[in-house]
Amino acid sequence: MLRGAEIFLQCLRAEGVDLVFGYPGGAIMPLYDALEGSGIRHILTRHEQGAVFAAEGHARATGKVGVAIATSGPGATNLVTGIADAKMDSVPLVCITGQVRSALIGTDAFQETDVFGLTLSLTKWSRLVRSIEEIPTAISEAFHWAREGRPGPVVIDIPTDFLKAKMEFAGPVKFTPKPRPSDVQAEATFGDTLISLLEKAKRPVALIGAGAKLSGAIPELRQLLDELNIPTFATVHGLGAVVPSSPYYLGMVGMHGTRAANMALHENDLLLVFGARLDDRVTGDPTRFAPNAKIIHFEIDPAQLDRVRSCELPVIGDLAQTIPAFYKKIQGAKLPDWTEWRAVACGPDRAELDPRGLSQLTVRFLDELFSRLPENSVVIADVGQHQMWAAQRYRSASPRGFITSGGLGSMGFALPAAVGVQLSKPDSIVLCVSGDGGFQMNIQELATVRRLNLPIKLVIVDNKYLGMVRQWQQLFYQRNYAETDLSDNPDFVEIAKAYRINAERLNEDSMQEYPVTEETGDALERFLKSSEPELLVFDCAPEANVYPMVPAGAALSEMLFDDE
Amino acid sequence: MHEFHIHYRNTQGTLMRILTAVSRRGLEIPYVLANSSGHGHRADLLLEVNAKQIGQLCRDWHAIVDVTDVRMSVPTPDMLEAAAGFAGPHPPASAGANGKSANAAMA
Repeated sequence: MLRGAEIFLQCLRAEGVDLVFGYPGGAIMPLYDALEGSGIRHILTRHEQGAVFAAEGHARATGKVGVAIATSGPGATNLVTGIADAKMDSVPLVCITGQVRSALIGTDAFQETDVFGLTLSLTKWSRLVRSIEEIPTAISEAFHWAREGRPGPVVIDIPTDFLKAKMEFAGPVKFTPKPRPSDVQAEATFGDTLISLLEKAKRPVALIGAGAKLSGAIPELRQLLDELNIPTFATVHGLGAVVPSSPYYLGMVGMHGTRAANMALHENDLLLVFGARLDDRVTGDPTRFAPNAKIIHFEIDPAQLDRVRSCELPVIGDLAQTIPAFYKKIQGAKLPDWTEWRAVACGPDRAELDPRGLSQLTVRFLDELFSRLPENSVVIADVGQHQMWAAQRYRSASPRGFITSGGLGSMGFALPAAVGVQLSKPDSIVLCVSGDGGFQMNIQELATVRRLNLPIKLVIVDNKYLGMVRQWQQLFYQRNYAETDLSDNPDFVEIAKAYRINAERLNEDSMQEYPVTEETGDALERFLKSSEPELLVFDCAPEANVYPMVPAGAALSEMLFDDE
Repeated sequence: MHEFHIHYRNTQGTLMRILTAVSRRGLEIPYVLANSSGHGHRADLLLEVNAKQIGQLCRDWHAIVDVTDVRMSVPTPDMLEAAAGFAGPHPPASAGANGKSANAAMA
């Protein structure tokens, strides 16, 4: 006879779980009681949101399913932002929440919350376990749906009495989904229409999204893009899918994308979309998005098709299958000569990666850091101006080399996510870039970093504002800086020291000389090469802005630049 | 008005996921009937939606794990009648002792 908690943990092990993140509490205590000897390493964060973001970091860095554990009530509600974050960014995540005793459910018992109900619209699948016997199937099914198709979050809510109860356990089970009669089947002939559209195209482009990376078909994608040799750009989550030095690569597209990428996306007449959902940050005004384009959309999730614009050719399926099929189809096909278009789109007038940005010393600071990183490093950005600067400037060829909260835009993501990433990539430099606003949203995780002695390199770009909101206030609200002033920030260096983490401060003067002085260069080298956690606070000009910028509701061609 | 038939396995939360796909778009649901149908269950919904919303909804419903099929048809007269009732006036509320309605007191 085994306790429900022991069965639960054995089932997690059977799913390959060896690392979980969580925070104990009343209803989940039986599970914690059984942890020792289970073969599963538990990382105690200092807040449940830290746990779920750390689990996301682990999942995003490895492709494995992240697991976060919390107790009932407030423990569970503190997971919700992370669950929504994982849904938006297609992160495989299993959240386990304790629930009050089954007999008390519905009575507004102490720390009772309808976790199942409140996460319904944020999860791919969820289960309120109704008996100890359901535990093995619930776990098997949860992991199946977290990984299947477009990955995403699932929730298992388990009443505490089922974790304490005992039963004979025959071993973990394997969930097999029932077939659906209406499952969409990819058309075997998609290539004929595709070739026809390619043959007619005069200005084709390729847009790479997260789906391309999630499919694991990066070598196949790169081979295809080399063959097509058409102007190519990526969403913030597609960064790293294309080798940045590729002559046809134009960088990031969208609200803060490069001029070259946005212009090519605006002007093209055939848009090949690989695993991107075309959200508003990518399209700008949807009614003026790629006005002359026909769209071929490669996508695993049919729900993402036609959300913004109808596509001429939807290709539904795993890109690991459809990209090689595409490549095979164009072998021997006589495609048009796009040299002239490529020369325009990738030409010297456009192809540079926002040289205007270099006039900003914060951007130069990030460049100095990024240029010192080895290829296997991971940069994690929080949410705000620094995130966009980092996305613009970090040019990694590693598909999992740049991690950020893109869809939900969750401030406070980076620090706990870096914990999950560093645990998964102990031999890599993990550089966590935050703003002064977001850093304070999960600042308590410095204790986790210290406890585990994780050599994370923490950077705070400190402009003493909620910078991105302030930028919008400057540009669109007549400089009415309502409630974005953080000039009374604490001294982050002293805070880090209180957590026994080394910390230093750099100001913009250190970036005035180009290249930087030997002294500054040495300081950056020491920071990155330290075997300890380190914090570097960079004092940023309060009114520095991110450019280019496509104002909300404008077309991609209507970018603003620094001098406008 | 468009009529939708969503076939699903009656697992935990599936009907609610079907309905939240509608409610998250701020759409009203003038008619809904959920019942067992053959080996599974079926939810019939009557919705005022445009062509774009139809596509989005059908795809969102289909993406739900235990939805097995999504179909559209022309609304039956019975459904339209029921839906028309939805838009009509509510029954008059009972007056309370202090002059406020019982419903207001409950709220």
